Amino acid sequence: MNPESKRKVTVEDLLRLKRAERPPAAFWTTFEAEIRAKQLSAIVNKRPWWHGLSRAAAVVTRYQLPFGAAAALAVTWAGVHYYSVSPSGVVRVQGPAPEAPVAAAAASRTAETAPVPVVLAETSVRRDTPAGVAQDQSARTAVVTATSSHITKAPSEVTVDAISKSPFADGISVSLADYRTPSAEVARRSVFGSDRDFEAGLAPARQAPSDPLARMDPAEERRARLLAPALPAYSATSRRALASDWIKSKSSSDDRMYESMDRGSSDRMLVGFRF
Amino acid sequence: MNASKALEKTLVASPERKLEADADLDVVRKVQAGDVAAFDALILKYRERVVGIIYNMTSNREDAADLAQDAFIKAFQSINRFQGQASFFTWLYRIAVNSTVTHLRKNRLRSFFSLEAVREDDPVSKELVDALTDKTGVGRDAFVRELQEKLNDAMQKLSIKHRTVVTLFEIDGLSHQEIAEVMDCSVGTVRSRLHYAKQLLQSELQPYLSK
Repeated sequence: MNPESKRKVTVEDLLRLKRAERPPAAFWTTFEAEIRAKQLSAIVNKRPWWHGLSRAAAVVTRYQLPFGAAAALAVTWAGVHYYSVSPSGVVRVQGPAPEAPVAAAAASRTAETAPVPVVLAETSVRRDTPAGVAQDQSARTAVVTATSSHITKAPSEVTVDAISKSPFADGISVSLADYRTPSAEVARRSVFGSDRDFEAGLAPARQAPSDPLARMDPAEERRARLLAPALPAYSATSRRALASDWIKSKSSSDDRMYESMDRGSSDRMLVGFRF
Repeated sequence: MNASKALEKTLVASPERKLEADADLDVVRKVQAGDVAAFDALILKYRERVVGIIYNMTSNREDAADLAQDAFIKAFQSINRFQGQASFFTWLYRIAVNSTVTHLRKNRLRSFFSLEAVREDDPVSKELVDALTDKTGVGRDAFVRELQEKLNDAMQKLSIKHRTVVTLFEIDGLSHQEIAEVMDCSVGTVRSRLHYAKQLLQSELQPYLSK
């Protein structure tokens, strides 16, 4: 550094020195020729198709807020259109009278067993009563609309419009018809009227529990087999049925044959047959 | 008064730049209308500055020439997308800087210098070299060559973003606002990067600085 110089050199001064780094004039001649060739090739050559995609992406990026808002609006409209419940055209479920207690019983049963919360909805059930009975049967009954997790969100009231507009209208109508059709057997017997009725109705049909091995006591069987030749009436008066008649007769005949063997002599064995 | 004007010049674009931007917009409208030859005027006007920016970022004149040509071709191909919201040179600088940054990131491991000669006919550089050395003749040329290599070495030790900010502000003379537009960041970020980059350069070039 020149000590006589009074000028202070800073970083900015040193960086300003880089401004003086300039290419010679010949550089610009070559530069101009090359850029001319590239410009012509850019005009002649057809741009690939994916450049259009990048341009479309740029447009989407520029207007991402309106596009996003429109998409959100469309999704919301679709959700409302297909899953909304309009107040008009409500299909009222008019089932037979026993349906209410049946549903209530099923609800109580499910509430006891299912861990998931049960959604209850009040639905007015219009009961067809005979003439002369002035009793208002439009009792508000708690009806279970969903008893399990996968049907928790099932609507309690189904609109005709919603069904007819839905693309799954056929399937929904068939399922709804199946749901409305009461089980003839259940409705007639009223088995599910209550828990006690259900247990009482099914109790006679049940058989007492029996252990198959309880009838197969090996000691008793062996005793009967040994006593059968000596006491023919034993098997008949036995307290338990040990085996089938065929097995008993076969085993007793074998035992008799065994007992009739004469083992007196060592060189020969006499076998006597009795018929 | 002068200090406040200088500070304002560093923060916002100068009125001359605004007039220049208006003139560029007229030329751009011609190119967009189909006058392809009008784009040559823009190339002639900005080629030295674009090449200078890329050269100071890469420290390689061959890469600078290729990247500058590619930047002009990209601008020519995308001229219909230019809407005039920003000035043309800011738009062109952004294309050039983005192409250079992509190139530097691709060739991070391959970097070697290919330096231009320092022109001593520039009065500012002559005065600076006089202040740094009293040598003459071959010794002076060798000193200038060594200083040039040290400068480029210190610049290459900066990160790409800090190098870009230093190049645009200290060498090309853009304001903070214009740099923020080119680099798509805030003015505060530009200032922060500039301050940090200067600190690093000061520590690297300490032997050449006045005590």
